[in-house]
Amino acid sequence: MSKSIFELVDELPTSGLTISMLKSLDFVAPGEWQNTVGFVNTIRDVTGETDEDLIQQIGERAIYLYNDRSQGYQRAMWLYQTVDNTDKALGAAALANKVGEKIPLLSFLNSVTPKADKAQTIDLSLKLVAELVAFCQINGIPGDSIGDFVASLGEYSGESLMRMVALVCVDGLIPLGPDFISKAISALNQTNPQELENNSTFKGIQDAIPGNNASSKLNFIGESFDSVKGWMSGLVNGNNLTPQKVVNHLQGFVEIADDKLDYLAAFLDMSTNYYEHTGTQTLARRLIERAVAEI
Amino acid sequence: MILNRRHKILAAFLLSVVLLTTACTPKVPGRFDQVQQESSKQKSGQAVAKNATQGEKFNKFFPPKQAGYEQVFTQEKKGFAEAKLKKENKELAALSISDTTSTPSAAAKFSKSTKKIAGYPAVEVGKTQTAILVNKYQVKVLSRDSSFTASDRAAWIKKFNLTGLAKLK
Repeated sequence: MSKSIFELVDELPTSGLTISMLKSLDFVAPGEWQNTVGFVNTIRDVTGETDEDLIQQIGERAIYLYNDRSQGYQRAMWLYQTVDNTDKALGAAALANKVGEKIPLLSFLNSVTPKADKAQTIDLSLKLVAELVAFCQINGIPGDSIGDFVASLGEYSGESLMRMVALVCVDGLIPLGPDFISKAISALNQTNPQELENNSTFKGIQDAIPGNNASSKLNFIGESFDSVKGWMSGLVNGNNLTPQKVVNHLQGFVEIADDKLDYLAAFLDMSTNYYEHTGTQTLARRLIERAVAEI
Repeated sequence: MILNRRHKILAAFLLSVVLLTTACTPKVPGRFDQVQQESSKQKSGQAVAKNATQGEKFNKFFPPKQAGYEQVFTQEKKGFAEAKLKKENKELAALSISDTTSTPSAAAKFSKSTKKIAGYPAVEVGKTQTAILVNKYQVKVLSRDSSFTASDRAAWIKKFNLTGLAKLK
């Protein structure tokens, strides 16, 4: 582990493509997410404490907890980082600098390749599984507690809810269309263990997925997706979400033609890291909540 | 052309100034650097004592369900369990039990305590926390909303099954 938890939280950006994207998805969960950055800021925000000595004690306990690998927090961080990083293209940093101006996407299309539906489905379901496993690592319940995870999805708020909203919009609706849930289920059913093993995201996180081999891991992925589909369709129906509606909100920072949505998905995949960004925020909050209660 | 070249020279000059100054500025140690070093000397076992009680054993001592309130367990780790206290979907407080075996200074703060809640030594920490010590276990209630006052915290501490917790080994 190269970076300390306070560096990771201190270095979270306050602008750029990821932030613009998350802000433009605020309409799905209005006011839920504030982009709190900075370790000490987060301590103040979570605890409501202002005394510097106390903030120091809370921060120090949180750092101890994070650095103790037996506690699972580092593994959760690694998962958030890994599912986001597998697709990164080199252009991401350059693109991030352009935000503030609208980005005409068409000029970037040459360097972007949309993924096939099946690859997109595997990515979507792997992100879900990563969320589930990270949730279990952070909160201390066994790694295969699909039931506990689903129950707690209803409790998701703030940056965790925003991460799931972005997952549904950016990795579900935009690339796969309004019927992305049934499409993903049927694509998962047609996926064989070898195809899964060839997926770069799977290669990155397979050790963290319950199951002895690719075939049982594939089953676990399918079960996880199946158990979360009710929550996802609730979010979609409750907000009348359509790809068009999501794109309309994204138009604030990126210009895209309607028939190029799969390019938009690929573009957002390579140029944002919303999973890692909000995951770092979630992890920091849980650590700080525990630290303040323990000192 | 000359203008263009001057620009290039200027840019190169400025770039070297930036590189030189940033490279030579010593990094001022931050407020958490030392603890980062101390806490990463070993890979595991430094934050939570080996013999700390499992969090799942704490769950049954949390306050029983109260009308109008909702309790949602959020973390259950070795030595620690925590629940959110909610009313009408608003988070009012966090309720927690922790084993102070891992955090001796947490237990030590009670030695200066002059107050008692339910017969146990009690302290208020900062603006948002009230805690008691039941043997080696710390029971803490933390306000997450300004409407939840210190007297609310004391009242909720009394709702835990403290007698039961006192018998937990």
